[in-house]
Amino acid sequence: MKKLLFVSLLLSSAVFVQAQGADFLIYSFKGNVSVVENNAEAKAKVGKLMNSSATIKVANGSAVTLICNEAAMFTITKGGTYPLRNFGDSCKVSKSSVSSNYVKYVWAQMTKSSGSPGSNRKAYMNTVGAVSRSINNVWIDPRLDTVNYCDGDVPLSWKSYADAEEFEFFLFSSTDIVNPIYKTTVKKHKVPVSDLLGKIKPGNTYYWTAAVKGEENDDLKVLNYKKKEDFKSILETIKAQGVPFEGDAEQAYRIAFMLEDAHFLAEAHDYYEKAATADEANVLYRSTLMSFRKDYEIK
Amino acid sequence: MKKPLHKRLGHGVKHAHRRVTKYLMERDTLFATLWVFIFIFVLGSIPLNLGILNPVKLGLKDFDFNDLYYSKVGNKQKNDIDSNIVVVNIGRADREAIAMLVEKTASMGPKVIGLDVLFDGPRDPYQDSLLRETINKTPNLVLAVKYLTDSSHKLIAANNYFKNDKTLYGHVNFPTHGDKETIRSYYPFKEDDKEHDIIIPSFTTTLLKQYNQEAYHRIEKKINKETIISYSRTLTEHKKQYLVVQPEDLMMDMVDSSSFKNRIALLAYVNDNPNDIEDKKFTPMNEKYAGKSTPDMNGIIVHANILSMVLENNFIKKFPGWGNWLLAIIVCWLHMSFFIHYYLESHIWFHLAAKIAQVLSAIFFVWLGIEIYNRYHVKVNMKYSLITIVMAVDVIYFYEAWATWMHKKYHYNTVFKPHHH
Repeated sequence: MKKLLFVSLLLSSAVFVQAQGADFLIYSFKGNVSVVENNAEAKAKVGKLMNSSATIKVANGSAVTLICNEAAMFTITKGGTYPLRNFGDSCKVSKSSVSSNYVKYVWAQMTKSSGSPGSNRKAYMNTVGAVSRSINNVWIDPRLDTVNYCDGDVPLSWKSYADAEEFEFFLFSSTDIVNPIYKTTVKKHKVPVSDLLGKIKPGNTYYWTAAVKGEENDDLKVLNYKKKEDFKSILETIKAQGVPFEGDAEQAYRIAFMLEDAHFLAEAHDYYEKAATADEANVLYRSTLMSFRKDYEIK
Repeated sequence: MKKPLHKRLGHGVKHAHRRVTKYLMERDTLFATLWVFIFIFVLGSIPLNLGILNPVKLGLKDFDFNDLYYSKVGNKQKNDIDSNIVVVNIGRADREAIAMLVEKTASMGPKVIGLDVLFDGPRDPYQDSLLRETINKTPNLVLAVKYLTDSSHKLIAANNYFKNDKTLYGHVNFPTHGDKETIRSYYPFKEDDKEHDIIIPSFTTTLLKQYNQEAYHRIEKKINKETIISYSRTLTEHKKQYLVVQPEDLMMDMVDSSSFKNRIALLAYVNDNPNDIEDKKFTPMNEKYAGKSTPDMNGIIVHANILSMVLENNFIKKFPGWGNWLLAIIVCWLHMSFFIHYYLESHIWFHLAAKIAQVLSAIFFVWLGIEIYNRYHVKVNMKYSLITIVMAVDVIYFYEAWATWMHKKYHYNTVFKPHHH
């Protein structure tokens, strides 16, 4: 019994020491982030080292990336007060031997199925554009290189590498890429296509881009506003490619996949939704819809 | 009665051992092995590029088996941040802004500052004078240059308008053929081919000389010696193994000065966006280690890896060429013995056994190379061994014909009988 007590005491003290001993480094942050150490609050600074007795305060809309024990990285994006001692689990870094990694890798490569378009849509989608060579603060996903649009709604979105609050969105006609036909300032990282309907006409091609307010971005993306009859003909062609005895949900899922591949993102979203609604028990349809919404910033 | 397991295992091992060793000392095995190397030599000596339309050869042109270690199985190298180094992203700063960043960085008290930017000629006079003044009053600043040979074939340090007799500098060249090859090595010092007193240190060598004499002594004799880079850290969207400070954070005093104090500060363009390939190089840490891919690491992170390697005394030694060939001879000899056994005694199973042996041997020898690399930091080139394993099967057919012909003509003793299959 004494031995058992001794061992448990030893183990618990080891766990305690591990949790107490963690060092945290502020790798980056944006917004209002402060650190409380020894009851004194100070503004966070990049490169600051803290021990686990410190507390970090993150204001709403702010974010902080921490590195624990010079190894594990995690980001806090929700506002709140976080004592660092609670992040013991985030400090763990799994290190297995090179040999076991090699065996796992070889085995995975030898046994991994290459998947199918239905279950791994991203691997088979032809929507990705070119790699960019630029140093813009705004990055537009290459999947939005070309967006074909007829009906419905889909946002034209981007990511920002700068801590900017406002962004400018520019829409150009295909004949003049210098003077925008529409320009707006937004706080979000997206502009829904439905907001542009008063400025664009079916059957025309437009270019768009976004930049941090006051900056420029030469990376133009294409928006093709298709006529209803043109889209109808494309849809009929896609529908005709079905197999006999195709169910409603199956057909909707296939059409959605093919529309996404043809860059009709708003329409593809409608069909992914149709498939998920028609067969609510189907996990693949539901997860694909969620994944599609996440990819294209559809809320 | 059924034999116990250990006896059955023992019997199996003995059986397999016999398959490999039965023909090991036969003259045919030795000569067939010799023929494999003759074929390798002859094929390698053909002055034509026979791989011009071979997609496998073209795809694997820049391939090294040890890349698997960096790319897939090596725990993505050490996970800790190297606290000796802090990187300042200069973004798209112009010369005036670079001058401000250098001044601000210097005020944070780093032991040495590296500015990995090539300044080709003059630009705006006002900005140039500002930057020149900053460079002149920052004695611990190391500038980047490129080594070239001038019209008289003399080695010169070029591509930096602000370099003068007093400034510290180092070359940022990598010994690759164009920017599409993987960066695996660098020259700590580049020496002129004729005038041996003209020596240009690398950017990292000059930084180390200022930062840590002990580390510098590890490389000071590596003049014109191509040194393999041991990559230990990377900088991606999901993995940050160097502290990178953004210019606006630095200028607005949002950076803790202790992260700079007595460290190496590197100023350069950095971006962890995988779709931004500005100043990015191919390294063995690329997720895709063969075939087409996009560059994966900013040049300054390659330099940072070199600094980490020297500071941590984490050099990679190269197994000598004769050692690689000796290993290939032994591997080929053992396989040849195994293949000849099946060829003569179980011919119906020969191809199946040979293919299985080739796959298993390839997996084993790649693992062996990676394990030696990981444990002993020695780079063994397993390419020759794997080539001999692949060629051995085909050479047996040729050897059989040759041995039979020799037997008829000169009564050459051989285990191969004419038309035995």
